[in-house]
Amino acid sequence: MEPISHEGLGRLLKLEDNLQTPHVVFSHTDLKESKDLESGGTIKVGKVFDLPPSPLGLDSEKAPYLQLSENIAVLDNAYSIQPKKLVEIAAEFRSEAGYSRLLYAPAVEPSQMPILAYLGVDIFDDLNVELRSSTGWILESGEWIKQNTQIDDLFSHNRSELNRWILRIRNAISNGKLRELVEITSLHNPRVSQILHHSALLLIEKGARVHSTIRSNDLSLNHPAILDFQNRLSNYEPPAQNMVLLILPCSARKPYFKSSSHKRFFNTLREVENHLALHVVSVTSPLGLVPRELEFCYPAAHYDIAVTGKWSASEIEMLRSQLIKLNPTKHYAKAIVHAGSSSKIMTELVKELGIDVVDTRVDRPSSYEGLEILQNIARMTLSDIPILNTKDRAKGEAKGLANFQYGENSDFLVNSEISGRMPYKLRCGDLAAMSPVVGGFGLTLKGGIEYSLQGGPIIIAENFKLVGDLFAVGVKSYKGNWNIGDQVVIKQNDIVTAVGIAKMVPEEMISMNRGVAVEVRHHA
Amino acid sequence: MPEAFVPLTDFVNESKSIPRDHPLDKPVAKWVEEEVLDGKIVEAGVVILRTRGCYWSIKEGCSMCGYFNDTVPGGVSDDMLREQWKKVRSTLRGKKYAKIYTSGSFIDPTEVPFNFADEVMSDMSNMGIEKVLIESLPEFVNPKNFAYTNAPKLEIAIGLESSNPVVLDKSVNKRLRWSHYVKVCKLARDNGAEVKAYILLKPPYLSEKEAIEDAVQSAIDTAPYVDKISINPVNVQKNTVVEKLWFRNEWTAPWLWSVIEVLKRCEDLPVRVYSDPTGGGTRRGAHNCHDCNKRLLEALKNHRLGSGDLKGLHCNCKSRWNTLVKQSKLRRNGSEPHGYRSGFAGSRHF
Repeated sequence: MEPISHEGLGRLLKLEDNLQTPHVVFSHTDLKESKDLESGGTIKVGKVFDLPPSPLGLDSEKAPYLQLSENIAVLDNAYSIQPKKLVEIAAEFRSEAGYSRLLYAPAVEPSQMPILAYLGVDIFDDLNVELRSSTGWILESGEWIKQNTQIDDLFSHNRSELNRWILRIRNAISNGKLRELVEITSLHNPRVSQILHHSALLLIEKGARVHSTIRSNDLSLNHPAILDFQNRLSNYEPPAQNMVLLILPCSARKPYFKSSSHKRFFNTLREVENHLALHVVSVTSPLGLVPRELEFCYPAAHYDIAVTGKWSASEIEMLRSQLIKLNPTKHYAKAIVHAGSSSKIMTELVKELGIDVVDTRVDRPSSYEGLEILQNIARMTLSDIPILNTKDRAKGEAKGLANFQYGENSDFLVNSEISGRMPYKLRCGDLAAMSPVVGGFGLTLKGGIEYSLQGGPIIIAENFKLVGDLFAVGVKSYKGNWNIGDQVVIKQNDIVTAVGIAKMVPEEMISMNRGVAVEVRHHA
Repeated sequence: MPEAFVPLTDFVNESKSIPRDHPLDKPVAKWVEEEVLDGKIVEAGVVILRTRGCYWSIKEGCSMCGYFNDTVPGGVSDDMLREQWKKVRSTLRGKKYAKIYTSGSFIDPTEVPFNFADEVMSDMSNMGIEKVLIESLPEFVNPKNFAYTNAPKLEIAIGLESSNPVVLDKSVNKRLRWSHYVKVCKLARDNGAEVKAYILLKPPYLSEKEAIEDAVQSAIDTAPYVDKISINPVNVQKNTVVEKLWFRNEWTAPWLWSVIEVLKRCEDLPVRVYSDPTGGGTRRGAHNCHDCNKRLLEALKNHRLGSGDLKGLHCNCKSRWNTLVKQSKLRRNGSEPHGYRSGFAGSRHF
């Protein structure tokens, strides 16, 4: 079994050639019923495995939730468990089943398969499809439609459609689009949307951080990566005290500073004296507020939203709470709002906090007139603000970014010798440098050593010459905890030999014998 | 007791609630129904007396039994029992067959005092009642508990539920040993009583197919030791494990087709096997689709009274039942999607 790809808690495993999970078993050929009440029958997933006996006499709301056999863990009643409870159970999937057991959810509806796969279920079956088929319904992209043309063997027709549906789920995982598929199935399915709603925290805590583009909409306000970004904004501090907060609109091109509008803003402002004391924060949905230094960080550079120019009540509420996390009363002397359609809202929100704010009242912020007004207002506002030099500013930028990215383990970067400036040249001595791939500071090998001393996650690998990526088979043990997508340090023989990005969660590395465990960025 | 029993014990206890206050001088219910006596259809008077209730339900209870809801935890005094008796005599007068139920065991002397039972029996005998049906757990079937001075012919209904120990332990939560059951059946018959066995159809956790097979096997096992067998499809009673599983959609009430299947497969047994589904045709009782519930219940009634058979019944939902039964063991519980019995014709969510 080899993990190929992850999203959320879901996994795309390669079991054999042409056999991957999430997988669907067909009841007539792959499932054998038990002989008596105390055994569980068998399931064929490539090989034939024993199933655990069904949960006689057990309360489905009490742990342990899964029935286990040697190779299979069964989530019984997946079709009907209360959404909130299901998420609670999902949090325990791997602690109960481990990583090497396949997780099977019997008799679920096709429409629930994407969300269950997102939460970590590997195997589904066609039992409910058989029941639907016997009543004359046709399966079409996970939905049931009433038959109006005669199909001879409806069940086999629906089975092939179910196969396509599962293929779509697998594809979604490998393309990082499972979340989208789940959102689609949740739209008019209250059960799925409730499960999705309740799973937000779990996905932030344990879900894989896959850097795939978030093609956003209103639903995405609950995307784990977005909630995580928003929450971590409270760790963030602007580069210096008493700067002027400049709120700009977001741009279609990411990171924002690469867009033509933001380039024009920059070119206009650089002519103003002491322009380094302006702190650019972009206003956007669904992320809320993105300070300039964090524009590389996932998902600030990885999302897309249908621009409507209208802000919903929930978005305004979200902007308010993000603004509070930024703590403007403490950090900023004044504010300028130059944000087009969101100017009015942002001006009011900043005013609510009691900060001196100027609204440029420009409808098209990057137009020639708009830029001129911005320049004048910036000049006036900055006139009584203390001068901020390049070096201090760079230091502050690095500090803010390091805190945001590494949280409490960030001291080694904050205290290092910081040079260069945003965006690409910023460095923390020889410990870390800006990396669009990592989405912020990418650690060098030396940085990895420091990070591991500060409590960063360490993977202890077998003793061999590490060339290229680290595979699961070479992992001996680990220290600390991480999610997929986090930076980790590899130690061999007590020496740090590489740093890279984790491609599996800790226990999974131990229990898998195949698959990439760490994508290595720097070798010793 | 093996450890595996424990989860269901907790579950049963957590599902229960303290019964409401009931008037002590009134019986739970009384009615008249048709029954077969010596091959003829007669009117039978049915009475449910309110008592302390089943000792087992106070201790733990069975997973499907909600009769404790009708009981009085502190017990009912002899005077109040006599008051109740006065109110039910009119229902029994002129009948040849009487069924006297309590929500427990009639011959448990701690539940129904022997003196009161003895009075009641001779009263019925004087009224001209020829046969009386009472119910009991096997542990009370002891000749001294039903050595009445003057009584009609006794018929003791004993709940076997299933002859499979796994079903009894892990699904029903009833402590009953097969050998003991056989022994008390013999004991009752040797002391002049007839024995009627209750067998459950689809206790909780069991799938439709397992349920059918279990009921048929239990009927075959028990036939030599009893005089008749009643197949009782499990219905959803308040504050029970069954109700919880039903609310969670982990179990649904059996199909009427399953009842008919069991009866057909028991046709060749030397004893009468019949069924009178409690709550039949409703969501909480055995049911099929809306189109055939009434027809099938009518057929079951005629079969019970010996005035009809179960042949020639048909409905569109039978093929659905067939499909479900074939895959039901693979589903690993007793459930099915909402609305399946009617072919998802309504706009129920799924």
